[in-house]
Amino acid sequence: MHNSKAHLWFIAPAIILMIIILIFPLFLAGGISFTDYNLGNKTFEWVGLENYDKMFNRKTYVKMIWATATYVIVVVPISVVLGLCAAMLLNSLRFGADIYKTIFFLPVMATLLAMAIAWEFTLHPTLGIVNSFLANGCGGVREFILGFHWLPWVDSQESWYAVACANNMDFPYWLKQKNTAIWTVCFIGIWQAFGFNMVLYLAGLTSIPRELYQAAEMDGAKSTWEQFKLVTWPMLGPTTLFVVTITTIRTFQVFDTIEILTKGGPSKTTYVMMYAIFEKAIQQNLTSIGAAITVVFIGFILVLTFFQRYVIEKRVHY
Amino acid sequence: MEAKQYIGEGWKHAILIIGAIVVMLPFYMMVSMSLKSQQEIQSISGGLIGAQETQTFPVCVKTGYSEETCTMKPYQYNYWFAFEKAPIPRYLMNGVIVTLSIFIIQVLVALPCAYALAKLRFYGREFVFSMVLFCLLIPVHGIALPLYVMLAQAGLVDTYSALILPWTISVFGIFLMRQFFMTVPDELIDAARMDGMGEYAIVWKVMLPTAIPALLAFAIFSVVAHWNDYFWPRMVITGNRDLFTPPLGIREFRGGIDSDEFGPMMASIVTVTVPLIVAFIIAQKRFIEGITLTGMK
Repeated sequence: MHNSKAHLWFIAPAIILMIIILIFPLFLAGGISFTDYNLGNKTFEWVGLENYDKMFNRKTYVKMIWATATYVIVVVPISVVLGLCAAMLLNSLRFGADIYKTIFFLPVMATLLAMAIAWEFTLHPTLGIVNSFLANGCGGVREFILGFHWLPWVDSQESWYAVACANNMDFPYWLKQKNTAIWTVCFIGIWQAFGFNMVLYLAGLTSIPRELYQAAEMDGAKSTWEQFKLVTWPMLGPTTLFVVTITTIRTFQVFDTIEILTKGGPSKTTYVMMYAIFEKAIQQNLTSIGAAITVVFIGFILVLTFFQRYVIEKRVHY
Repeated sequence: MEAKQYIGEGWKHAILIIGAIVVMLPFYMMVSMSLKSQQEIQSISGGLIGAQETQTFPVCVKTGYSEETCTMKPYQYNYWFAFEKAPIPRYLMNGVIVTLSIFIIQVLVALPCAYALAKLRFYGREFVFSMVLFCLLIPVHGIALPLYVMLAQAGLVDTYSALILPWTISVFGIFLMRQFFMTVPDELIDAARMDGMGEYAIVWKVMLPTAIPALLAFAIFSVVAHWNDYFWPRMVITGNRDLFTPPLGIREFRGGIDSDEFGPMMASIVTVTVPLIVAFIIAQKRFIEGITLTGMK
């Protein structure tokens, strides 16, 4: 080694920044969560687990856990499955795959906040094209398909679509209604995330050797579904587990759409954790409760990533 | 057999086209609204671009411009008035300043560290690397609150530093570059040392050029993430318009959804969203590679 001190200069800035920016804040959040400290206060008292006690017992925070869980449980599986379906469809196309790929990837790229506002207008009850599309379809094919009249157990007079048509075009105010807001936000989340998963799956699909499909065919797996079950799905195992964890971690961090569209409402049905941290700690200056939410949040993420890194990676790699 | 295959192909396209329409809906809405007049927007008429009739815009007259100035086609008015109302170039410039500063500092910190971890042998190397691996687990947005408290105590809220500092360390960048440097042959470095190059010169004159492809992917990853980031700027910039990044600008344009004119508002949103989308369409492959970088191992 020529210059034996060089490495110190090389690693020192990185180490110092890692400690100050990434590691110390973990302890700081942990510390603050056991106090009643609010930003701007000169002193603080230790209050033990009081903040955590509030978090698990007060209605607001229970709703927060529910909203976050609902969002994650809905968005992750659907965006992963859609990503897989899109990737398989594109992979089997003879032409045009690149165009679809570009289109489906656009939402991943575009500034989410801008797109959230665009969705707000698209779904607006009087200005949006979604509700006008629905209103113009009353009594037609659109009503038949989207009102699920084709399902034998749906009464064509009683479906949600027929009822809205009958009541002077009373279609939902998607983002402002208690029973639709969370699902609408989930939909935007899925819309944004599935293109990312699609690209990862496309990469996964190209790495499956062609011979495996020929071998499967010789073994009698003739239909597409059988080949999928026998070859594609197991071979995509590592990709799937990776896609699921990374999507889960990103989904947990949802903030932009909530802040601009619902502000956690109506009646806290979309009150997700990142928004709660922002609202409590920054807007209401309740730093300590914000810190407690932060600790729980980080806990979730760390557990998930550990799970991916040490349990799954060992099991799934062949 | 042939005919059957064509039908299959047709079905796939039908499904994908429906998907594409749903995906494109908000983009369509955004562009369409930025071109049409207020009446056309409110009556949902005029298709994508509207009738584009030359007219006098009352809001513009009320703001204090002469009637002559305020008479033009809706698309001209929307974009012109958007720039009159808000310092859009300033927001875009802030976006450039912040994303570029972040990227440059990230590289200045990560590259030497990655080189040391990959190619130098020293006491504690394994420990430093495991520290990097541990830090990879920490989501920076998750620790935003303690970071905010620290910045507030240091009096840095509402400054460029607040926007940039938390992102100066990219453990992911270190990890990525280290993996890349591992593949660079030792002979190259030894030859450089024989030529009398110091370790600093090796990092910047030998390692940096070999790392260009990886660095480019990382640049896209970093720039896209921070250009689009809304959460962090929203935390640390409270009111100072001079520091607004594009997403904060977007939030401001939105203003009161019921009171404002929608055309100029959407025109501003389109203006700040478009640069990245155009860049993406031009260099698609690189972008997809860069953004899914976290997905590669």
